[in-house]
Amino acid sequence: METITNSIYKIQQVRHLTDSTYVIRMDRGGMQFIAGQNLNLGIDGDVEKRDYSIYSGEKDNYLEVLVKEVEDGLVSKQMKSLKPGDKLEVDGPFGFFTLKPEDIDSKKYLFIASGTGVAPFHSIAQSFKNLNFKLIHGIRHSNEAYEKEHYPADRYVSCVTADDKGSFKGRVTDYLKANPVDKDTLCYLCGNVNMIYDAFDVLKEQGVPSGNLHAEVYF
Amino acid sequence: MNMSDTERTRPVIEQMGYEWTDNEEEASLVGILACSVRQKAIDKVYSRIHKWNKRKNKETLLTFVTGCILPSDKDRFLKLFDIVFPMSELQELPDMIKQYGIVTPTSLSSGQNNNAIYQNPRIKELKEKASELKLNEHISDFWHINPNYESDFEAFVPIQNGCDKFCTFCAVPYTRGREVSRPSSEIFEEIQNLINKDYKTITLLGQNVNSYGFDKKGEEVSFPELLRKIGEMGKKSGKEFWVYFTSPHPRDMTDEVIEVIAAYSNLGKQIHLPIQSGDDKLLIKMNRKHSVEKYKHIVDTIRKLIPQATLFTDIIVGFTGETDEQFENTRKIMEEFKYNMAYIAQYSQRPGAVSSRWVDDIPKQIKKERYHTLTQDLIETSSTHNKKMVGNTYRVLVRGMERKGDFISGLTEGKINVRIYSSDDSLIGKIVDVKIKSATEFSVAGELITKEELQSA
Repeated sequence: METITNSIYKIQQVRHLTDSTYVIRMDRGGMQFIAGQNLNLGIDGDVEKRDYSIYSGEKDNYLEVLVKEVEDGLVSKQMKSLKPGDKLEVDGPFGFFTLKPEDIDSKKYLFIASGTGVAPFHSIAQSFKNLNFKLIHGIRHSNEAYEKEHYPADRYVSCVTADDKGSFKGRVTDYLKANPVDKDTLCYLCGNVNMIYDAFDVLKEQGVPSGNLHAEVYF
Repeated sequence: MNMSDTERTRPVIEQMGYEWTDNEEEASLVGILACSVRQKAIDKVYSRIHKWNKRKNKETLLTFVTGCILPSDKDRFLKLFDIVFPMSELQELPDMIKQYGIVTPTSLSSGQNNNAIYQNPRIKELKEKASELKLNEHISDFWHINPNYESDFEAFVPIQNGCDKFCTFCAVPYTRGREVSRPSSEIFEEIQNLINKDYKTITLLGQNVNSYGFDKKGEEVSFPELLRKIGEMGKKSGKEFWVYFTSPHPRDMTDEVIEVIAAYSNLGKQIHLPIQSGDDKLLIKMNRKHSVEKYKHIVDTIRKLIPQATLFTDIIVGFTGETDEQFENTRKIMEEFKYNMAYIAQYSQRPGAVSSRWVDDIPKQIKKERYHTLTQDLIETSSTHNKKMVGNTYRVLVRGMERKGDFISGLTEGKINVRIYSSDDSLIGKIVDVKIKSATEFSVAGELITKEELQSA
């Protein structure tokens, strides 16, 4: 399924979603990947590289990554000003944060993300249109519900802490406590480590076995 | 370049099994002994490393810099080189290279002895004290174990290179590249050749041996199939030898691998299964891709199918953010899994690894305390295992003469160190019967038993 690549990809578009968050769309270049995997990339010729989950779907004819500008960042800050035609050096795909093919049609999924940790779930939702899932997205402000229209409305829940315009006011852990999870649900967590740790504890308390918990930490 | 530093660096590298080359283009490990006294010399360092980093796009190359480095340069070097260290830490270079997943014959053949010594807190403290006093001058006695990679009875066969796991404490995927499997036909040919030459141990090497074949998308045999075929080759030969592998990753350790090891006498009954931490949340932070539950299943299967197998592991203490509770969880699994040996490391940042971007927030003193605590826990379990060996007879591969020349020593099939009450060096390279008479923390001692004695017993 995977194809080894380590080469130069041309940017098609940089889509700014907020002041600090953007989607880079680049040529697909024939890369085969499984939704949930990530790429290691940086500006062509620069030593600095970072890992980003693939944001686009398996069947899209382009590749996308969702990037949040990090203060003093050595990659995200520089990539923000890239233009169509500029080049990225891309290595990958990597990672095991993927769904088991045998479960896709039969299992119920809970996806829990913080911030740009929503990216692999966007890729998964774009790739498997009939998937039985719920996505809980923890964000500070409601404008960080990145492209929420890409998900079926009844499957996307934004947990917003700083304003009242989300689906739920509070942290993802508050939502989980108010909406306990069925033990058979396959839970996938992606984002910052503190959110994952807190959600992990709540889910364990609710009886979800650790074998049903999968995590991808953004560092 | 400081010639004295060069003279001391070269043997340390050569003892790992590396061969010196004057042709920079063919080197797989390149380093610079820097001199910050002259800016021109430092400018040359930058020019070289940029050239080497470009080479990394096409080949596997590990780079290091040591010598005299200004703090301002050090910050930049950390981003450009794989390994940056002061000369005072030269003796740790093999360990640093090993942490990049580069397994050398020497790191394996001497590893157990080294680690046994290193893990003895009293000796470790003495070493540390000595290093504080003399800094650059404590290398000679640390490297007393002569590497034996040109042995005519122990062989090392690479089967796989690179890593796709991306553990956050490790830079291997960035330095060694993706997992690539060696063609099985070549492996079988090499192993058959070694069997024909009466080799007694063969160790299959790779950063993630049990993901062997994954990169070939079904066009290559799987790891258990590879082992099965090797087991069949051994069976057909009728010879006594033991095949090991290192290192496997728990994520890819299937029941089938354990079933195959159980089924063939030539597949060594010693399993080295790194766990790194006994805490699920810390495993997530380490990006290990498995839970304690998954690991426990593997150990349960080993205990059920191969009760006589010895179990070794790797553990990191003081990883970024490790709480007292998380450390206690590691102690609990040490108690539960009762390892014969654990290679315990105090966490230190490795340039290029994801965790090198985090604040190394566990004070050195805490790391030391956790290291000592866990070492004591290990001593309890390893001593218990070793004491149980007393009175029993084991097949032992004689590997060498102890330093003073009074005793020969070797390893059991489970890789337990054995001191043998004999000075008969003609036995080196042979597998003999030894009746165990006494046990210590990390080794046992015993006497040779003849076939007649064994039969009459």
